[in-house]
Amino acid sequence: MTDTPMLDVRDLQMHFSIGGGFLDRLKVDGKGVRLENPIVHAVNGVSLQIKRGEIMALVGESGCGKSTVAKTIARIYKPTAGEVRIEGQDVAGFGFTEMLPVRAKMQMIFQDPYASLNPRQRVRDIVAEPLLEQTKTTRDRAGVPERIEQLLARVGLNAEHAGRYPHQFSGGQRQRIGIARALSVTPGLIIADEPVSALDVSIQAQILNLMKDLRDEFGLAYLFISHDLSVVHHIADKVGVMYLGFMVENAPRDVLFARPRHPYTRALLSAAPSIKAKRDTEEIVLSGEVPSALDLPSGCCFRTRCPFAWDRCATERPVLQETGAAQTVACHLIDEPERDTA
Amino acid sequence: MRDAAALSPLLDVRDLRTYFHTFAGTVRAVNGVSFEVGYGEVMGLVGESGGGKSVVGFSILGLIDSPGKIEGGKILLEGQDLVEAGEERLRTVRGREISMVFQDPMTSLNPLHTVGQQMDEVLRLHSDLGTDARHKACVDMLESVGISRAAERLKAYPHQFSGGMRQRVVIAIAMLASPKLIIADEPTTALDVTIQSQILKLMRTQIADKGASMILITHDLAVVSEMADHITVLYCGNVVERGRTRDLIENPAHPYTRGLIDSIPDTTERLDRLSQIPGSVPDIRNLPTGCNFRDRCPRAQALCAKDEPVLTPQHDGLLAACHFPLKAGERP
Repeated sequence: MTDTPMLDVRDLQMHFSIGGGFLDRLKVDGKGVRLENPIVHAVNGVSLQIKRGEIMALVGESGCGKSTVAKTIARIYKPTAGEVRIEGQDVAGFGFTEMLPVRAKMQMIFQDPYASLNPRQRVRDIVAEPLLEQTKTTRDRAGVPERIEQLLARVGLNAEHAGRYPHQFSGGQRQRIGIARALSVTPGLIIADEPVSALDVSIQAQILNLMKDLRDEFGLAYLFISHDLSVVHHIADKVGVMYLGFMVENAPRDVLFARPRHPYTRALLSAAPSIKAKRDTEEIVLSGEVPSALDLPSGCCFRTRCPFAWDRCATERPVLQETGAAQTVACHLIDEPERDTA
Repeated sequence: MRDAAALSPLLDVRDLRTYFHTFAGTVRAVNGVSFEVGYGEVMGLVGESGGGKSVVGFSILGLIDSPGKIEGGKILLEGQDLVEAGEERLRTVRGREISMVFQDPMTSLNPLHTVGQQMDEVLRLHSDLGTDARHKACVDMLESVGISRAAERLKAYPHQFSGGMRQRVVIAIAMLASPKLIIADEPTTALDVTIQSQILKLMRTQIADKGASMILITHDLAVVSEMADHITVLYCGNVVERGRTRDLIENPAHPYTRGLIDSIPDTTERLDRLSQIPGSVPDIRNLPTGCNFRDRCPRAQALCAKDEPVLTPQHDGLLAACHFPLKAGERP
């Protein structure tokens, strides 16, 4: 039991059909008349494991599928293929009612503290909602008001805040309310989708510290989605780097920041601005932009922007392979290091 | 002549006050802000939301609408006061002498006009060039911001460009009339980090090539520290600290600047906890007496509640508005 990971995702795929109706899909051109079925390949086989008390971060640029991974694990989306094991139980195929007990183990914190709280509900009702969903008898519910008071106190709000509405709070305080709501059902796993990116830097530090304290206190596991490498470096135990729906590198934090192997990870690290005067990392500057997930490049997803790409990259899709120290990398450079000229 | 230009700054903002008169009370969004921008210099204007940094940018271009009003101060562009200038004069300033790059390239471009039309408009208004010369200038400019097949792309609409490409177009438009000053308001905040580094690099080379100056408005200290020569830190509509970039980043004198720098997680050092600034920015309609920062400041004393601090010289040529400033290397 103890070595069952809190979250075990295997080969997760999430494709969206954006065809629309018959007339939207109908294409007439020089090659004749046909029905198209455009598919967004948002997530293409992502695997990850998170143990109890562990924080895993997913990083990548917009459109890389990191938020889709989060939402698919939270079962806001139903995955196209793959397994999502929460404490060993595969929930990938679960329906709404089957998911209800699972939601007591897994909660989500959202990016936008303005949009994720119902403006017509008082704070106490917002925080109580998941709890009421999990407790159905009057006897079970007797402890709810007291529990809400404890939760608000724990996230740094006080009892008088319980009767207020979300618009009476600042962004940082709202994010605290969102965290209290997620904690209400004592979950083991919290999926946090860009929880601090809408906040000012001084408030961001407060929320990151709070999240770290809560992990230590309750042994929470986090799946932490972020585009900000300095935030990820601060909070994560291990980091997965995503590009165009693929996991391109996955490593413990210190290994990844000290010895990034994938050219995309290296570019990402060197592109991040820093307040330090000198940089010692080699600078890989990427040209161009991320290709469309509607029409993935053949072979390696990154080859259109990779400074090292050669013909093998266009024909053969690299798979994640272990390079030691729990670091896995999906790049042909691992087999042919002599091509790495940076 | 050259010496005179070197002595007086391109832009000299003195004691600027921009207030918004709302039903809920007067919002002193910018309350006595002074700074200078020299020729060919990049000045970073940083602060958290509500600091008043965008309002400073809009005030310089005369883009403050009712209920907002510039209540006092001077904005001297090469010695000429823009606060006193009429709309007629401001229209020749905007685009030709000072241009602006906004945060969101989707909303700052007109979706109904092609990129070419929007670029051409700038030259039609601000130059005497003929149709062909204008077209050539647009093609050259679009190429210089790194957009290939420029002549063809001029016929495209903004939605046919990606976010990074759109921001390149916005920069191209801003640079077209060779302005002396560019105000860039969070130019890369909406962009991904690899695109951000491309755009920052582009802005740096464009400015250096044209010898223009820039005011870079951002909340991101890391971005300004890589781009700016000088930094001005705003808090609740006041300048709390000003100075050369490296001095200000390495040894800030104001506890707020120190707090901001320390709350940025560092990828080279491993800390268990980030140092945080307690509390949040006060309501700007209801500011505390004395120093605006005192409720969140670890060094605050009785004096801070009584007197409002003014900018005074500190170590390394920094100016800080604090009764108990930090000495070089000192921690709060």
